This record gives sequence, structure tokens and C-alpha cells, in this order.
Amino acid sequence: MSIPTPSRVNLTRRGLFAAGAVVGGSALLSGCLGASPTSNGASNANVALTLQSSLSDPKPKAALEQVVKGYTTYPTTLNTVAIEQFRAQLSTYLTSSNPPDVLTWYAGSVARDYASKGLLLDLSDMWTGNGACAKFSPALKSLSSDANGKQIFVPTNYYWWSVFYRKSAFAEWGVKAPTTWDEFMALCETLKGKGISPLTNGTGSTAWMASGWFDYLDLRINGASYHRELLAGKHSFDSAEVRKVMDTYATLIPYFDPKGRSYTWQEAATPLINKKAGMYLIGAFVTQAFPAADVDDVDFFSVPPINSSVPSAEEAPTDGYFASAATKNAAATKDLLGYLASAKEQQLFIAQSGSSNLPTSSEVDSSGFSALVQKGMKLLASTQEITQFFNRDSSDALQATADAALTKFLDNPTQVATILTDWQTAAKKVWGS
Amino acid sequence: MTATALVPATRRRRHGKDWAFHIVMSVVTLLWVTPLVFVAAVAVRSFDDISFNGLGTLPHSFTLDAFSTAWNEGNIAGALGNSIIVTVATVVSVLFLASLAAFALSRYPVPYGRAILLVMLAGNLLPPQILLIPVSQICELLGIYDTLFALVVVQVGFGLGFFTFVLYGFMRSLPVEMFEAAKIDGAGDLRIYATIVMPLCRPALAALAALESTWVFNDLLWALTVLRTDTKFPITAALLNLQGGYTSQWNVVAAGALIAAIPTTIVFFAFQKHFVSGLLVGVSK
Amino acid sequence: MSVTHDLSRDRGAIREPDDRPPVGRRRRRLSRRVPPVVWLLLLIPFLVETGWVFYPAFNSFQLSFTKWNGVGVAQPVGLRNYTDMLSDPIFATALRNNVFWVVGFGGLSVVAGLGLALALNKPRRGIGIYRSAIYLPMVFSLAVTGLFWRVMYQPDGPVNVVLAAIGINTKEHQWLADPNTALGAILVAAIWRQAGYIMVLYLAGLKGCDPALEEAAAVDGANKWQRFRYIVMPQLKNVNTVIFAVTVIDSLRTFDIVWAMTRGGPYNTTQLLSTYMYQVGFTLVNLGYGSALAVVIFLLAIAFIITYLARATRED
Repeated sequence: MSIPTPSRVNLTRRGLFAAGAVVGGSALLSGCLGASPTSNGASNANVALTLQSSLSDPKPKAALEQVVKGYTTYPTTLNTVAIEQFRAQLSTYLTSSNPPDVLTWYAGSVARDYASKGLLLDLSDMWTGNGACAKFSPALKSLSSDANGKQIFVPTNYYWWSVFYRKSAFAEWGVKAPTTWDEFMALCETLKGKGISPLTNGTGSTAWMASGWFDYLDLRINGASYHRELLAGKHSFDSAEVRKVMDTYATLIPYFDPKGRSYTWQEAATPLINKKAGMYLIGAFVTQAFPAADVDDVDFFSVPPINSSVPSAEEAPTDGYFASAATKNAAATKDLLGYLASAKEQQLFIAQSGSSNLPTSSEVDSSGFSALVQKGMKLLASTQEITQFFNRDSSDALQATADAALTKFLDNPTQVATILTDWQTAAKKVWGS
Repeated sequence: MTATALVPATRRRRHGKDWAFHIVMSVVTLLWVTPLVFVAAVAVRSFDDISFNGLGTLPHSFTLDAFSTAWNEGNIAGALGNSIIVTVATVVSVLFLASLAAFALSRYPVPYGRAILLVMLAGNLLPPQILLIPVSQICELLGIYDTLFALVVVQVGFGLGFFTFVLYGFMRSLPVEMFEAAKIDGAGDLRIYATIVMPLCRPALAALAALESTWVFNDLLWALTVLRTDTKFPITAALLNLQGGYTSQWNVVAAGALIAAIPTTIVFFAFQKHFVSGLLVGVSK
Repeated sequence: MSVTHDLSRDRGAIREPDDRPPVGRRRRRLSRRVPPVVWLLLLIPFLVETGWVFYPAFNSFQLSFTKWNGVGVAQPVGLRNYTDMLSDPIFATALRNNVFWVVGFGGLSVVAGLGLALALNKPRRGIGIYRSAIYLPMVFSLAVTGLFWRVMYQPDGPVNVVLAAIGINTKEHQWLADPNTALGAILVAAIWRQAGYIMVLYLAGLKGCDPALEEAAAVDGANKWQRFRYIVMPQLKNVNTVIFAVTVIDSLRTFDIVWAMTRGGPYNTTQLLSTYMYQVGFTLVNLGYGSALAVVIFLLAIAFIITYLARATRED
């Protein structure tokens, strides 16, 4: 073989130069590209705020974008990251030397955990005097407090869980919403007889949906205090009380659409929407899955009481914001939080996000809300106890044990004894750590 | 004699074999392509259609809205730009650096050369997930956190071991006579690298460039680890944002996935020619 | 040492003092010593990899002996993470699944890729279409692939519909919700995607095979299988090494597709070590234990690969 010809030599040298240029150019370009993210073009350019959001659902995302656009005091950048990845990066965000100033999340174990490590900004002054959250309910205040009684969270909206159904479907089938547990079981039996799946649930890759029924049955049978203590590790999962819950759960299993074991919660809404299934115990966010024309057809009833000696309880997960303790400008951050928590912005967000949320501020004019939302407000106003949801009340780690245990139970209800023992073993590891 | 007598028979047999081949391959091709057709079918449905009828059914509607929604609301255009920049920079850099290391290891008696090669390859054996947090901390320390540059550097570092290994194998198989002839002619080591080795590696580089660009373009984890601002996200992360924590607009996700697949498709078809033509160079001796 | 001895062995190489390496190794080297510029060529990439891979990896190894949740200081706990692993039923499942996966995914994708490459090697009418169609799945990311295959496997989804159409009544089987079929179902999707990639690598390798050798063997009366085994395969040795490395790496790193399809469910029956590690490290934010799992994955990869590669890269 001979030495390559001169033309080939030039080509490769040129190739090397080109390669170098590309690398250098890209490095420059990538540096430049970082310089101009979307901001709301506000006036005060010395302070710039970053709002890191996990709301990647289309309508809430658009709603938050509009809210942020209306904030003109400081230039604010809104970054949206899908929720699973947001959670995975949350520790990195908060421990960064240049953290996002405000972050979306929910009240509960995660916020308290970060607060105990000193990563969250103390927002107590927003809850006193003329602060934006001063008029919020005491229940919300305690929800937003850390172990030392300081407030570290600003709740801006919440929603409720209930058994949702379509009014027109019930009318077609000639049934009505039950008010007692026996009526509920009878309704399931009637629907089954008509060839309709009485209950639907999406426990495929959204296995946490199985905890919805678990939570509610525990609340109805053993009461909210027992439920909270159970999640905190004060009771055992293979106790007689939990066994009672599981036995009741087992009576519901024949009424679930079996295909739900392969669906996400959203896919499981389809049978509800096209009237192949009757009822769905789920959060009010289910209205997001409905075609716009059918949203008004949605109605709900609360899970009927089972044990009359326990107080009434509902699950009402609360969403909002917390702030990073290492923020470069605490005053500006609190200003942004106050804006987000204001009645006007809460109203705007709720109206635009289409997910049937409730405001935390009592000053929001609720007369414009849909009938469904107003009914939800009444429900929560009249209930004696409010819990959040399994993972928000305990931890993500415990939720994982619940997912495994409950989905296995749904497939093999006769193995309930071993399932509960295994659950307790796994839970002990979580509580022990 | 026997050969000519056989010719008509083989020609007849090949005709029959031809049909069988095409039938079998057509079936295989159809099977292979079906999921992609499914994605396309989802992309042209409306949200209400999917809500009402479920994802698994045939389309009951036809609309191209999903594509425009993905393009506008998903920041697909910007994300594609980010992906392309990162991919080009990474592929060029990693293949360049890997070829340097492979050249050094394959043609020079580097002490413990084999061990060095295997150690570099071992770097690729680590599951990337576990490097996420230390890497993000290093990026912070260097002040490059939340920049595309960091993403490029991380991907380059992570791919180096494997590509060094592959190019090493390829370079070792090049005939040694060329090098010795070049040495006689007085060519320096760098000149040998640039003028002899690299041109001969072109088919391997083309193949590796096509494959690595697919890898980098489709990466998700590193992007989410080192980037925080969503306008800097590459296409994979932008697509992820189209799936909400609660609701997903499946038609928009499908449309976005199809749009995102276009660059990698183009790359494959562009480089395919290099495989075929470039590789024949090695065959003729 | 005689001068004639030097000249008879060397083919133009510079005369060097006596202590040279034996003939075989010497014939491949360009020079006895390594010039400084060549050291630089090696050092720069090595340093890049050290900074971005080895150092974080070392960090992770250290983390595996601690308990840490991402903030504050990591508490050293010695070997506790590793002993916990031994009594962790999910770890046992993940390990079993991983072995199945490496053999199944690795083995079948290579067999499929090789078969397709052999079938589509000779130029023919339409060959470009077939090759492109089989490679096409690679243009989608693994996450997207997992997402859409999950939907396809739904009880009323396309997979069951197509199977029913060709006469196999699956009674709306829930492929991904049934612990017995879930991992296998994911395997099909993964192989569907990977086969095109392996096929392309083999096509590149087959191009380097000399057709004259094969024709000579055919004239000598060797049948197709013998030609393949004794003529083609040996020429593919380098490609095989690469593909083996690629396959083992990809099998042990498989994450996106399983995560997107089942999240490791139903009730942890499709967990692989990588998905379990991700869940532990990021959903449960137990980074010490997650790092320990990563170390196990790494050691497994080493076990599979390094011995084979050490032998394969030995000078011959």
C-alpha cells in the first residue's frame, strides 16, 4: 500500500480543523445559549428570581406561566421539570450554591424533612400580621409548619378525593348516589348485573392509586387518628385493625375492572368517560382527563361511612411552594411567594388550570367556580378531619412498600395474611431508618 | 463442465429462494414497523378521541393539532436545537479523543497499555445513575452546572472508554507495513495519525458516529442531572415535560416523539452510505 | 547479538539494542519507546475520563459505605448496606431478573442481529428498505419505546388484537400486570429495538470479510453452515468482541425501557438491579444503599467482561 495522496492529506487536516472548529464553536454557542432563558421581562434587573416548577401537566403549566407573566416586581424565570425527575433532583436543587428561589411541591413529609436539614427558608412572617398567608385557616398553618413550629411552606391550592361518576350515566342506568355503605355495595351489585364495571382504578404503573381505597377504608373503619399513627409507625400493618380494612377491601375487588391493573390512573378514567365503568375513587384532578364537553357531567359522592363511631374524614392533598434557605434575596423571594399566594393569583391559576382545585385563601371569590368545585368546598368545610394522602402523610419510602403490598393484594386477596406480614417487615425497615 | 451444467439449476433455485426471501423479510419488516405505525396513529388523534376510546383502539379522528401543540408548547424547536448542538459537539469530541488514545495504545509500547485500555473500558461498565449526584456536584464546583457545555463534557467522559476500546481494535487490525513505510519516509507520529490512520478508520468512525449520536441524542438522565433551566433541555427532557405528573396528552407526546426521531433518522441514512462505501476500502488489498 | 540476526528479522525498523520484545509484539509497534507527544495523546482522554467517570465512581464507592439522603453529611455505616442487601428480597429478585436479562436480552438480540445481518448482507433489490426498517426502532429513545410498548401491551391494545387476528386467543391477557409474563414482554420490546443496532454492527463487520475466501470454500464443497462457522465467524472476531462488550454493557445498564413500562412492578417482579438502584437512590433517596447496589452492578459487569476481554485483547 502506498502513502496516501496529497489530496487525502489535505482532507484529513481540513477535517481536523473542522472538528476543532465545531467543538470550539459548540462550546461557545452552548455558553451563549445559556444566557437568555424565558423571563417575564420585568423592570428591576438587579435581582432575578427562579421558580422551579414540577407542574408539567399542560393546563396547570400554562396557568402558572400566565401567573408568573403577571408578576412585574422582579424578573422571574419559570422552569418546568416533569415531576418524577423534579423529585429526583430536589436534593440537588436545594443543596446547590445557586439554588432556585421558589419551588413547587406539596405540604407533608418531604417539606418537613428538608426543613429539618435547614434547607428551607423560614416563612413565618408571612403567616402573621399582614402577611399573605395570615388569614389562612389554622389547619393549613399547622400543615405548613415544621417540627419546631416555624412555617416553611405556602399552600396555594388543594383538591379533594371522592368517588366520581357521570350524572348522565347514573341516569341512564336508573341508579343514584349512595349515602350508606350498604347502599354503595348494593349499587355495585346492580351495576355488575348490568354488565358495567362498578369500580375502575388505574393501578398499573401508577400503583399508588391502590392506596386511595386503603386510606379511605382505614379512615372510615379506624378513624383519622389511627390512620395517622399507623403511617407514623405507631401501629403495625399486620394488626387486627388493618386486617379489618383489608377484609373490606377484599369485598370490593370483584367489582373492579380487572383491566385496571394494566392502566395508569389516566387510562383508567377512559371507562368512566365512555360509561363502561361506574365509579372512580380519585382526586378531583380526574376532570383533567375528561373531554372538555363532558366535564360538567361529572359529579361525586363521599365514600359512605362504615363505622359511625369515628369522626368524618376526607383526603385533601395540598399543593404550594417552598423557598430555598440559600436564596440570594430572601425579601424578593417572599415577595414572589406573597404574589403567588394572593387571592387574585390563586383565582387565576385555578380558573386556568382546569383541574378542579380549591383555593387556600378565603378571599377568593368562589361563586365563579364550577358546581363541582363548590360542592367540593362544602364537603371539605363540613368534614371533621383532613388527611393528605398516604405518601404525603408518611414518606415516599413507605409509599413504595404500600404499592408493592396493595397491588399484590389486589391480585391475590387470599394471601392477605402473608402480605400484611411482609408489609410490616418492609415498613419497619423504613421507620427504623 | 460440472459448473455449467449446474448453472440453470442454481438460477432456478435462486429464483425460488428470492421469492421466499422477500416474503419472509417483508413479514419481518412489517412486524418491525408496526409499533412505529402505532405511534404515528396516536399522533394524529385528538385528545378527546383518546380520552373517550382509550389508547389501544384504532383512531376515531384525524388531526394534526398534536404536532403544532408539541412544536409550540413543548419548546420542541429549541430543544431540538439543544440536542443537535450537544450531539455534534459530543460525537466529534469523543471520537477525536478516543482515536488519540486508541492510536497511542495500539501502535506504541505503552507500559501496562492493556490494563489502561481495560480500565478505560471499565468506566463504561458503571451504571450512569449512580454517578448522577457526584457529577452534579463536580459541575457545581467547576461552575458549569446548568450549561450545555457541562452536558457535552460529561457525555464525552462517559463515552471515552468504550470508543477507545473499539477504535483500538480497529487500528490494531490495520496492516503494519503502511506504518513502517511511513516511518522510513520520515513521517512523525502525529503525521502518521492524521494522514494514515484516521482516513483508514473512516468506516469505523462513521459507524461509531452514527451509533454514538443516537446514544447521545436519546440520553435523558445526564441532561436532567446537569441542567436546570428548561430552555436548555434537549429534546428527550422536553418530551418528558409533555407528560404531566397527572395527565398526559398522549397525542402530543407521540407527535413530539416523531419529531424528535427525525434527526436520528437523518443521521442514520446519511451515515449508511459511509458504511457501505468506506468499508469496501479495507476489502481490496 | 549479531547484526545479521537484526536484519533478518527487522523489515526496515531502526536498529535497536538487544532487549527487544519477541517478534510478534514487535511487528505491530511503530517504535520501541513511546514519544512524549504520544503520551499526551493518551493522557488527555485518560484525564478527561478520570475527572468525569473515575472520580465520581470513587465517590459512589465511598458512599456505599454510608447512609445518606442527599443533604448534610453522610453517616458511615461500614458494610451494613451490603449485609442489608443479602436479606433484601427485592434485591434477590432483581439479581435473578438481571441474570435472565443478560442472557435473554444479550443472547437473543445478538442472535437476531447476526441472523438479520447475514440475511441482508448481499446486495439485492429492496435490501435498503429492509435494513432501514429494522434499524428504525433505534431512532426513538428507550423511554419513548417503553412508553408506547406499554400501551401496546394493554389488555385491549394492539398486541392482543394482532394475536387474536392470527388465531391466538389470549383472552385479553394483561401482559405487563402478570408477574409471569411481564419481564418476557419487556424483553420482546427491548430485543425489537436492539436487534437493528446489532445488525448494523455486524453488517459493518461482514463488509470486512473477504468474499473470495467464502467462494473458495464453496467450491471446495463446504455447505453454508460450515462456511459460516469456519470462514465467516473467525473473520468477525474483532466485531464479536465489540458486540459482546456492547451487549453486556447495554444489558446491565438497561433501565429506561423497564422503568417506562412497569416501574419495576408488578410488586417488584420486573425489577432489574438498575431500576431498583434508581428507585432506592432517587425515589426513596437512600443514596448509600443505592450506591451499594451500583457497586454490585459494576462488579457483575467486570466479572462478565474483563476476563473475556483480557484474553481477547492479548497480543497474538
